[in-house]
Amino acid sequence: MARELMYRDALREAIDEEMERNNTVFIIGEGIAERGGSYKVTEGLLAKYGPKRVRDTPIAEAGMIGVGVGAAIAGARPIVEILYIDFAMLGMDMIVNQAAKFRLMTGGEGRVPFIMRTQGGTGGGVAAQHSQSLEAMFYHVPGLKVVMPSTPSDAKGLLKYALRQDDPVMFLEHKHLYMTKGMVPDGEHIIEFGKGDIKRAGKDVTVIAWSNMVPRALEAAARLAEEGIDVEVIDPRTLVPLDKEMILTSVAKTNRCVIVQEAVRRGGVASDIASIIQEEAFYDLDAPIEIVAGLNIPIPFNLELEKASVPQVDDVVAAVRRSLHAKPLAQAAE
Amino acid sequence: MARPILMPQVGQDLTEGKVTAIFVKQGDPVKKGDIVAEVESEKAVFEVEAFETGTILEIRYKVGDTAIVLEPLMMVGEEGEVLETAPAEKPAPATFSGEDAQTIVQAAKAPAAEPVAESQPANVTSFPAEAAREAETAFLKTGTTGGSSPLARRLAAAAGVDIATVKGTGPRGAVVKRDVEAFSRSGQSSGSQVLAFSGKTATGAAGSFIKTLQSGTGDPVLLIHGFGGELSAWRPFLAHLGIANPILAIDLPGHGAASATSASDFDALVASVRASLAAEKLDRVHLVGHSLGAAVATAIAGGGDLDIRSLTLIAPAGLGPKINGDYVAGFLGSSTEGALKVWLDQLVHDPAAMPGVLVRATLSGRDGTAMAANQGKLAAGVFSGNTQLFSVREALARFAGPARVIVGTEDRIVPPDQTVPASVALHRLPQVGHLPQLEAAALVGRLVAQTVRSAG
Repeated sequence: MARELMYRDALREAIDEEMERNNTVFIIGEGIAERGGSYKVTEGLLAKYGPKRVRDTPIAEAGMIGVGVGAAIAGARPIVEILYIDFAMLGMDMIVNQAAKFRLMTGGEGRVPFIMRTQGGTGGGVAAQHSQSLEAMFYHVPGLKVVMPSTPSDAKGLLKYALRQDDPVMFLEHKHLYMTKGMVPDGEHIIEFGKGDIKRAGKDVTVIAWSNMVPRALEAAARLAEEGIDVEVIDPRTLVPLDKEMILTSVAKTNRCVIVQEAVRRGGVASDIASIIQEEAFYDLDAPIEIVAGLNIPIPFNLELEKASVPQVDDVVAAVRRSLHAKPLAQAAE
Repeated sequence: MARPILMPQVGQDLTEGKVTAIFVKQGDPVKKGDIVAEVESEKAVFEVEAFETGTILEIRYKVGDTAIVLEPLMMVGEEGEVLETAPAEKPAPATFSGEDAQTIVQAAKAPAAEPVAESQPANVTSFPAEAAREAETAFLKTGTTGGSSPLARRLAAAAGVDIATVKGTGPRGAVVKRDVEAFSRSGQSSGSQVLAFSGKTATGAAGSFIKTLQSGTGDPVLLIHGFGGELSAWRPFLAHLGIANPILAIDLPGHGAASATSASDFDALVASVRASLAAEKLDRVHLVGHSLGAAVATAIAGGGDLDIRSLTLIAPAGLGPKINGDYVAGFLGSSTEGALKVWLDQLVHDPAAMPGVLVRATLSGRDGTAMAANQGKLAAGVFSGNTQLFSVREALARFAGPARVIVGTEDRIVPPDQTVPASVALHRLPQVGHLPQLEAAALVGRLVAQTVRSAG
């Protein structure tokens, strides 16, 4: 059985279940205790678990992340909520030079089960310092897991898995997704890292998307289906580790691939996935790999400009058409 | 300006080969076409030819050295010319010109039946010369710069389709998957065959072995070698065949890759080739045969059951009773280079035309195989002393398609003065022996192409 839940409620269930199960799990962040979090993810947890395990912090991200990494090294399972991924940059030394390296540099004896929950992406005109998609920063650093759930079910299952494994996890939510709804299985629901999900099966073109680009890709697929174009939408769910097998299998089937990322194009994860595909599935490709990505600019404050700076449904539709060599669409859909 | 003579690509996947002989020294004058060295790959010996007249300025290897494929073996230039001290740049295979191609010479004996690499792009062959030519032709033919998708190339190679002949509908005229698929469909419906050969035809059941030497479009042309020959001996001749059709060649039982099988008489030999044709679904094909192979081709064409588009017979056997029995016995009985050379020289009018490597290649081909025994069995079944035990004269008279016979007036194996039915064209080439395809390759190539084209 399953229930319909909002993304934020699914996250809360995951935290709640794991805090109940394991008393080394605790959560700190700005406004997460008394106020229940800016996105209401942690509502009610203070009352249930008390101020030792659900704690508000000052506006001091470097300190919060340092506390989290240190506590993880000492054996606890901290969740540090950073209000905007943009602010996580203040804790980069702890993340990149300490958390990511500790396991290797102690010969595997030390583990860092540190979870940074934060959110990124555009939505609502919060401008250049509150709208970035910075997954590539973490993707680039060996030793970090990078998780980007697109549905309530994935959010819950992946967060529960994160709290049971022993490596630092960048758990990147999206501000636009907190209020979206989806079915979440009842009972123990855990999703292992490195297993992608086919959000929509199709045979003509593979569209790879994650986080808030998944609903856009699905909308594009629905629109293209009316023209007889059968799009497969794949959500890797975790960028590190990446489900390469699922991607290569899908491309071998469709021979065409469009990768959609909200982050800016330059130095992005999409480029790296494209590189993997051309290297390992070159002779499966019937068209150049298309990347639909954000423009290489800071996100503008103006809502229309913000919209123009990141991929929209129309952009995905156009890229799919290009990969089908545009004209004989009926034939391509055979 | 000094130019390199390159180490030839002596096999599809080989990156190096051994220098087994060098026939010139620094300062020697060379003429275009002179043999300057011999190189060897695992199973084959190749002669390296000078591509232009000049003086050997530098020799970069000594006998016994391992040379890197497509690197200069030596430099040729003007007498007294001083070479730049920097080693000549490694020419990129992609920029090969026709002239460079000429440094790659005559395979007397290529490795026995290397499997066709199905995943290779269609244009890749053992010889850069051919690859370069094909690429140029492809470019001229399509007249587009759109290229092709990796998938289209893979599918075309697997289907034996020359991608250069496929019209592209992708971006900027690129050939994409749907074009290759449409091409294959239309090819089948119009009756012209687009063939994919595994290159692994079972020699067990059929006894023969068919291999694609060149992919192409239209009805395939099958080359059938003579007694003691093998399919790879056709390779040098391919360059003189200016046709776009797929070109296939067969190893008869007891020969080449089919050396383990045998045919006991002429009928069994014909039956084996028929079985191979059936196995490859080749029921519409041009046949080109040499000597005993020409007789086999004629027997099949005269059967009337297959759609044989045309027939080109080079120094054919089976048109009269006489054969040089001494040659057959001498060829089979020779176990040393010196002895075999005496007999092989009988094949040609001018012994200088006989590639030296053919002698060693023939002997090494017999090593450790049942080839000699099986060829002996076949010889006993088709020849008796100086008599051919079979005749295809009636079969040739029955064949209604375009047919041509090419003989050398100096043929010492099969009498050159045999007559042919009135419906068949006869070309008598002066100063040519039993191997017109070697001794007068350009003319024979032209005649084969004309025959093939005349069938429409």
